[in-house]
Formats: sequence, C-alpha cells, structure tokens
Amino acid sequence: MTVRLRGTDSTVLIRWIPKYTVLERFLHWVHTAMFIPLALTGFVLFAPWLEPVAQSEAGIHIRMLHRIAAIIFGGVPIVYTILQPRRMLMNLREFLSFSKYDLLWLKGAVPYYVLGRHEEMPPQPRFNTGERLTAVVMVLGTIIFGITGLSMWFLKGAMPPFLYQLMVFFHDLMFIITFAMFMVHFYLAVIHPMMWQSLVSMRYGVVSESYAREHHAMWYYGEERAKQMWEQRQAEGAH
Amino acid sequence: MADRLAMYIDASKCMACRGCQVACKQWNDNRGYIPGERETTNVGTYENPLTLDSQTWTRIKFTEYDDPDRGFQWLFLKEGCMHCGEAACVDVCPTGALKYGPNGIVTFERELCNGCGYCSQFCPFGIPQLEVLNTLTGEAKSSKCFFCQDRTTNGMKPACVKTCPAAALDWGDRDEMVSKAESRVAKLKGELGFPQANVYGKTQLGGLGRIYVLTAPPAEYGLPADPKYPAMSTVWQKILQPVGQVAFAATVVGAVAAFFIARRNVHMEEVE
Repeated sequence: MTVRLRGTDSTVLIRWIPKYTVLERFLHWVHTAMFIPLALTGFVLFAPWLEPVAQSEAGIHIRMLHRIAAIIFGGVPIVYTILQPRRMLMNLREFLSFSKYDLLWLKGAVPYYVLGRHEEMPPQPRFNTGERLTAVVMVLGTIIFGITGLSMWFLKGAMPPFLYQLMVFFHDLMFIITFAMFMVHFYLAVIHPMMWQSLVSMRYGVVSESYAREHHAMWYYGEERAKQMWEQRQAEGAH
Repeated sequence: MADRLAMYIDASKCMACRGCQVACKQWNDNRGYIPGERETTNVGTYENPLTLDSQTWTRIKFTEYDDPDRGFQWLFLKEGCMHCGEAACVDVCPTGALKYGPNGIVTFERELCNGCGYCSQFCPFGIPQLEVLNTLTGEAKSSKCFFCQDRTTNGMKPACVKTCPAAALDWGDRDEMVSKAESRVAKLKGELGFPQANVYGKTQLGGLGRIYVLTAPPAEYGLPADPKYPAMSTVWQKILQPVGQVAFAATVVGAVAAFFIARRNVHMEEVE
C-alpha cells in the first residue's frame, strides 16, 4: 500500500503482514465486550462503597447481567477451539514458550515503554513476553473463573460451605489480577503512543512490515536470524 | 453494647409444642401448610419442617438422647438466627440488607436483599435460608429470624416469646438473660438433677443474641461447642477487598503517570 505523507509529495510503501484471522478479531472484541460488563457488575458485589447499586432489584439485575455476560465470555474460547482448532493450539503453544530473551525483555520493558529506549529490546516472536504473560493469565483466568463461577452459580448449598467460601475467594482474587491486567493491556494497546499498530492489527488483522521487524523480529526474520542480529548488535554495542 | 437485648431459651422447659413456629409465621406473614400449594409430608419424625426454610425462621429440632444419668431423653432446641456479636453474615452481605441493628439485633431488610446467598454460606450455624426462585437467573431471596425487629424496636417481645405457653422463652436485657440462664442452670444442676446442664451463647462469637439453657452438652443438640468466625470471611473482606481496590487505583495512577512520562520521551518519528 502506498501512502502519501500529509503536506508533501513524498510517498512511502507500507507492506502489511497478516497477524490475526477474522474470527480471532471478532472473538477478541466479543471477549472485550463481555469482560467489561463482567468486571463492572462483579465490582458492584466486590466494593463495599457500591452497596446502593447492589441492593434489591438493581442487584438482582446486575447479578443476572453478570451471568449472561459470563456465558458468552466462557463461550468465546469454546467457539474458537471448535472453529479454528489449529490456530488455537498454535497460539497456545506460542503463549507457553518462554526463553532467556523474555528475561531480557522484562529488563528492557520499563525503559522501552516509559522512556522510549529501543536499543535494549531483545527480539521477540509473534507475541512478546508481556503479551504471552497476559495470555497465560487469561487462560488461567478463564479456567479459574469457569470453575469458581459455575460452582457458585449451580452448587450453592450442594457443596460444603468452606469450599464455597474458597470459590468466592479465588473468583475475587482472579478478578483483581485480570482486571489490573486488563487496564495495563488497554493502556498499552490503545493509549500508548508507540503501540498504535496493535489497535490497527486487532481491527484490520495486519501489522506493517516495519512494525513486525521492530517488535517481533523472531517472527519477521525467523528465530535464528533474529538472534544472530541481536548478538551482533550487542557485540557492536559493547565496543 | 450497653443495652444489648437477647432471647432466653430454656430447653429444659420446652415441651416442643411448636407454638413459637406458628406465632413466628403468623406475625411475619410466612406461609405454613397450604393445601395444593405448600404441602407437608410425614417422614416419620415429630419434626416439621425438617429444616429451617424461607418461610420457617424458627423451628423446634428434636434429638433423641441417651442421657448417662437419666436414660432416654428428648432434647428440644429452638433453632433460628443466633444474632452473633461478631456476625459473618453482616460482613459478607454486599447490600447492607443484614446489619447490626439497635440493641444488638442482626436486622434483615428483605427488600434490599439481591439473593447473592453469601450469608447462607458464611454463617457458622448455617441459619440464613436462601429461597432460590430461578437457578438460571440467580433470582433468590434470603431470610432469617430478625427478632421481630418491628415489634422489639417498639418495646414489645418477639412473637415467639409472647406465645410460649411453657415460659421457656424470655426476652430482655442480655445481661439479665445471662444471669437468669446461669441461675436456672445452677438449679438444674442442683435440686433438679441435670448435672450436664449448661449455658450456651454467653461467650461464643462475641456473645450470641440467644442464651440457651441446655440439659446436655451442646454437641448433643447439634450445636458447635466452639463456633468460629469463618477465617475465609476475614481473608476475603479484610485483606483481599482492600488490596484489590488499592491495586486497581495503583494501576490507574501508574498508567497515567507512565503515559505522561512516555509522551515526553517517545519520539514519534522513531516509532515504526
């Protein structure tokens, strides 16, 4: 795609690389559209200062909304697994593979995201360390929310009270972790000035070649080549 | 609480007439046996109903007991909300439907309840009863004895106390009820020959709002000898909830700060 730079006659050629399938993007937004009401309705029972909203008819409807959203939310990974099982497995495998480059990424992340220092960032595969950590928490969250939520919904009174109390505890613990993570995810994906392409990729399914090169070198160049380039750059930097 | 009120329940005088159950339903407009609508079944026991439920806030529990001194005995226990001094149900209720009311009563406002059912799961005695109207939607209402808060806040006795023909029930200042129970236990142990008689509810869970005179150990009545405030309620309410709110606030503040710092440092012309 050729783009003319505003106010000039110069043009640049942008090559787009596909990153997400249509279904992945659609389910991502369904997931988001369900997570937000789930978090808000859950927060009503979580925060004591929201007591007036939890009361009476309002509370009954809020609990019902939470359940409707939960069913759709829980249905997202199931639909994905049924319709694109190979993509799902591929992603899952990528989410769970960590290496020494992830430690380097974590070390370089704050200077990079806060101070804009590019040079410290090690090469990353299709999902960077932060994205993969987020994904792992999301997978764990889905499992824990599923087990605790369904137990509280259908097994109240049937399970021993202590077990029920544990379910409430872990449901809330997972809420704290995932909601904090969601806010960081939202900041990096939507607000952060350097990450403008992440929103583009979740909308149109593609990232630019230059973005892939910069942020996901192992995906763009292949693992070996990206590592070589990184080692070489490190060696040059040491001199 | 200086002027905390309590119910005195003398199990040694109770004859299980269940007048208290009837008076409770009558005063609180709760349903009893209604042909075709709310049936009752004989399951071979004198107890009816078999458990507390959304329409039965108090009931007499029957226990057969082989007393080492007196042989076979019927133990009659008037079940219902204990109105704990440290009530887990009040702490976990997200709606404020359960509160510490005047005079130490754990009050309940049914209109405020949203049916979450936490109270029924955190009560150490398993008292609040959740009436589930629809499992799928979660529509439900909790219920429990609230010591006839409409009567007792107007200087009257709870309906069950007023009706008890055996004078096994009494109502008044908690300290007075405790003294009454203690002197009754002394009498039971002495001249009446109940060596195992004891007072239950004086110290448990910050002191209960029901002071029982029992003729056998509490466990024989099915009462926990040393009921505990649920640890999970403390962890959940006192630790997890504040930590969660601080974590959310810190994340928002951190993200806003990071944004402003990043905006100053990131040179967009370098951004790919």
